[in-house]
Amino acid sequence: MADDEDPKEYRWETGYEKTWEAIKEDDDGFLEASVAEIIQRAKRKRQQNKQVNSKLGMMRHLYVILDCSDAMSAQDLKPTRLLCTLKILENFIEEFFDQNPISQMGIIIMHNKRAEKICDLGGNFRKYIKTVNGLTKTALIGEPSLQNGLELALKSLKLLPSHASREILVIMGSLTTCDPSDINKTISSLKHEGVRCSVVGLAAEVHVCRQLANETGGVYNVILDDSHFKDLLYQQVDPPPAAVCLESSLIKMGFPHQMIVEGTEEPLTMCMCHVDSSEEGSKLTTGGYYCPQCYSKYCELPVECRSCGLTLVSAPHLARSYHHLFPAASYREMEFDNQSLNCFACQKVFLETDKQIYSCSNCEQYFCLDCDIFVHDILHTCPGCATNPTTFQMFQS
Amino acid sequence: MNFELSSDRVTETSPLDETSLLVIILDTNPGQRILRENPHILTQCTDSVIAFANAHLMQKAQNKLAIMACHSKISEFVYPGPGKPLDIRQVDGQYEVFTLVEKTVKQNLMKVLTSETSTVYTESLLAGAIAMALCYIARILRTKTPGLKINSRILTVTGSSDSASQYMNYMNVFFTAQKQSVVIDVCALDQHLSLLQQGCDITSGLYLRIPQIQGLLQYLLWVFLPEPPVRQKLVLPPPVKVDYRAACFCHRELIDVGYVCSVCLSIFCKFSPICTTCQ
Amino acid sequence: MADNGIGTSHQANTALIQASNLECKNLYDYLRTRPSTLLDRLYNHPAICLAVYRELPEIARQYVIRILFVEQPVPQAVVASWCHQSYSKEHSHVCQVLSDLFVWHEAPIPGGLPGWILNSTFKRNLKTALLGGGKPWSMSSALEADNKARDVSFLDGYSAERWECVLHYMVGSQQQEGISADAVRILLHAGLMKRDEDDGSPVITRQGFQFLLLDRQAQVWHFLLQYLDTVEQRGLDLAECLTFLFQLSFSTLGKDYSTEGMSQGLLIFLQHLREFGLVYQRKRKAGRFYPTRLALNITCSQNKGVPVLEEDAPKGYIIVETNYRVYAYTDSNLQVALLGLFTELLYRFPNVVVGIITRESVRQALRGGITAEQIIGYLKQHIHSQMLSGDNKNALPPTVLDQIKLWELERNRLIYSEGVLYSQFLSQADFNALKQYAQQTGCLIWSNKEKRTMVVNKTGHDDVKKFWKRYSKGN
Repeated sequence: MADDEDPKEYRWETGYEKTWEAIKEDDDGFLEASVAEIIQRAKRKRQQNKQVNSKLGMMRHLYVILDCSDAMSAQDLKPTRLLCTLKILENFIEEFFDQNPISQMGIIIMHNKRAEKICDLGGNFRKYIKTVNGLTKTALIGEPSLQNGLELALKSLKLLPSHASREILVIMGSLTTCDPSDINKTISSLKHEGVRCSVVGLAAEVHVCRQLANETGGVYNVILDDSHFKDLLYQQVDPPPAAVCLESSLIKMGFPHQMIVEGTEEPLTMCMCHVDSSEEGSKLTTGGYYCPQCYSKYCELPVECRSCGLTLVSAPHLARSYHHLFPAASYREMEFDNQSLNCFACQKVFLETDKQIYSCSNCEQYFCLDCDIFVHDILHTCPGCATNPTTFQMFQS
Repeated sequence: MNFELSSDRVTETSPLDETSLLVIILDTNPGQRILRENPHILTQCTDSVIAFANAHLMQKAQNKLAIMACHSKISEFVYPGPGKPLDIRQVDGQYEVFTLVEKTVKQNLMKVLTSETSTVYTESLLAGAIAMALCYIARILRTKTPGLKINSRILTVTGSSDSASQYMNYMNVFFTAQKQSVVIDVCALDQHLSLLQQGCDITSGLYLRIPQIQGLLQYLLWVFLPEPPVRQKLVLPPPVKVDYRAACFCHRELIDVGYVCSVCLSIFCKFSPICTTCQ
Repeated sequence: MADNGIGTSHQANTALIQASNLECKNLYDYLRTRPSTLLDRLYNHPAICLAVYRELPEIARQYVIRILFVEQPVPQAVVASWCHQSYSKEHSHVCQVLSDLFVWHEAPIPGGLPGWILNSTFKRNLKTALLGGGKPWSMSSALEADNKARDVSFLDGYSAERWECVLHYMVGSQQQEGISADAVRILLHAGLMKRDEDDGSPVITRQGFQFLLLDRQAQVWHFLLQYLDTVEQRGLDLAECLTFLFQLSFSTLGKDYSTEGMSQGLLIFLQHLREFGLVYQRKRKAGRFYPTRLALNITCSQNKGVPVLEEDAPKGYIIVETNYRVYAYTDSNLQVALLGLFTELLYRFPNVVVGIITRESVRQALRGGITAEQIIGYLKQHIHSQMLSGDNKNALPPTVLDQIKLWELERNRLIYSEGVLYSQFLSQADFNALKQYAQQTGCLIWSNKEKRTMVVNKTGHDDVKKFWKRYSKGN
């Protein structure tokens, strides 16, 4: 695996691993069960690594720097590196905004020794997906310039207020970079500005990328195949721990609500998001969200008010991010020894084949493996704790 | 001659290939106002809910059902209960399966109600019950036959009020439901439930506060029996505009403009140089 | 439309093809054609009401449940307001179905407006099925525990064996076991088999092949309908048998039921069902019987491929690849024979058969009267679960499906329709007037402005002729 955190030890320096011994045949001579177990274990391991951290960089400003050089036309990912990347990136963007609703993203592409900003920082995920879809026809020419890309991103990240969490995610297909000057200077200024840079390599490990990630507190990984690529990218969805220099401060936000006056019809108005586009949707409508400061109307949240600059969000948007700050208690793994007849949450009856069951340290209910994963990956609320008044109160205080 | 190839028609699943899974959460907490005033209402509610559940099973042979009781201290599945199904013989002209539902629910509900100890919490932990229901639905979807489509929904029948103390749990279950495309329906027997109403809006379910409890069964059958794909064909109560304003952490008041901490996302109504939650 | 002249002979030809296709009725089609007196008798039993209710269209089910507890007639306008405007077509269809089945009928409400009211027998018995009350169903008398109780897997094995016996008999394969003269008579009656012209022994017909390609539930339902046609000739009471059949279909698998209190006729009926594997009885006079999976939910003939119980899921065995190769993991001769109807079999191993779908093999099947839809249906029904696990929208390769349909379409490049030619119009205006009229009445098949010729279908001919007479007189 490429995600060795310790740079001193290389894979070939570790002991000889007999990987095939981990795989055992089941009674019928099939491997499926064994493979499934390995996958499950990996899932759980990742979950346990999530630390409880109440200080996270929630207002993320992420620049995705995408390599669009000659190297991206290689066909080791199907159909090509670029197309595969764009497909995964599209899902990533959706997931990113789903999990970080008040964050912003920008996209920069590198080709022909230049960097080009194709999307400024913003919060409208539809726009990004559209842009990413449009990239399929980009001409893949020349070499990338990592330095130019980083400098361009830095230029706009620098201007952000101090409470914003600044991040750069580089997707690098090329093994070379063509830089105008010393890239180490760029790296140190990135470090100075507290920009966290992560790199996903599509080919092989490159020293300068490793250095960039290590210096700025990001992660560097090289993909094995497309599903691993997806996994690595998705690791960037969870908000990173707050950087040391990140101050917490209070930001003014608006919580618009629909204007409902009993007994009257709402007036037909045009929303600000579509006011200057001639596309579908730029029609006069009744409903909508009104900025509490200047009464401009928007059809979607979250959005930054165009006329007064206030960030408009709805309460559930903020609530969607709370689970990063208050994750469900992690479960203890234990041997199954008839502690309980069935899984507390999904009512699955425990059988002999369930070797391990899981128990919540707060409410002490027993759960099956699937529920363990479901609760911690998706639900973020322990059903045991949430149905018990005593643990529920404990959790609240 | 038209060579019309309609491969879509063959591959798309017609509504007949779909089954519907309904999880009903019945709030049995004796601390609810309506139950404190008149404990007999619980019997009526239970009967109505059982009749409604059977009406759901009557729609299609493939329809699936689960009923949960949300009590003050525990939430439990009362149908299908733990252990083997009861051995039922017909006593009257009722369909055997329906008799089984009725008997099982009543028997298990009795156990839940008698397990109650002295301390009574007035707050029903509905968010937890919905979380359990979501786990149950997730399991059914995991173990289903490949290729089969299951529409799942959760109906909550409750007379208690929703308190802001469960806010986070509520939001977690609503967003999970949205992600899993589970529809959350709410039938409020007593107070208006603004939080659960948000859940209905998020998952595109129906919210109904019934004006009088005598007609519970009729309301259930009229509004909540049609499954989501059919609902668009019928005229049903229109969705109400939901107020999504946030409440500040300091005074719990709804605000239009507020201040949000960049690290912990706490909401305040007045500006202060440091966030009191995380520092 | 040059082939207009030979239209007549071809018309007969297409009619022949249509008639020879297997007609699968659902419960609605079946009951609609029965006399209302029979329906009234049938509705006397909760089981039938339940079955009829489940077969109703989705919206109709909502309507019925909404007025189930209403005693007075409900104005038709009110019922119409329940359905969204854009689905008004569906609404009128649904009203028609409910009237056809005598589930509801028109009744005036006090103000004189037309209203709907549920059939009182139907209403009473549906309520009984839902909420209880009334008499227990006939087969549910108390029984002592069976000391030799049969479990579900035994019943499954038994029913599969019995039913396959019938199917094997039809294909005349080697694994033959005697089936009763009664069963043979039903097969002959249903047109699934016919007497060979030479030696009088039954041979399978093209409907028979189509029957074999149906899923098991549909097979049982079709077979039973044919059986019920002959029931009255045997001196059995149709209503009684139907009632029993539906009770059976709502019973629980793995439970035993009592034969106590059953009439002589029903006991005979039970023995027939036993022969086809719908019920299991250890001995003829055991006093108890077990329904098998075949008997459960027989009416759900529309819901093809949807298993009622989880463990009921059909075990698919066919894998189809985009290169037209078919792999079937089966050792059953019957399944191999069926697959052989439309594929060219290449290899055979103890547990798997490999074949390829070719133009020739499909055309062969089409010539045999099997339709592309049926071939696809069969493949779909028995598809291996591996193929379903991914993106289940396109479980079967679309290329193969489209190709099979194209192979069918290339046999039908021409549509024959009988018609009458109108030509030699004196003026363009005459032609236009007549053409417009024919178009409006919907009987115009073809027209050519330059040559002033048009073809009108036969049913519209008289009408158009009359119009022409009126028109030319008026001028």
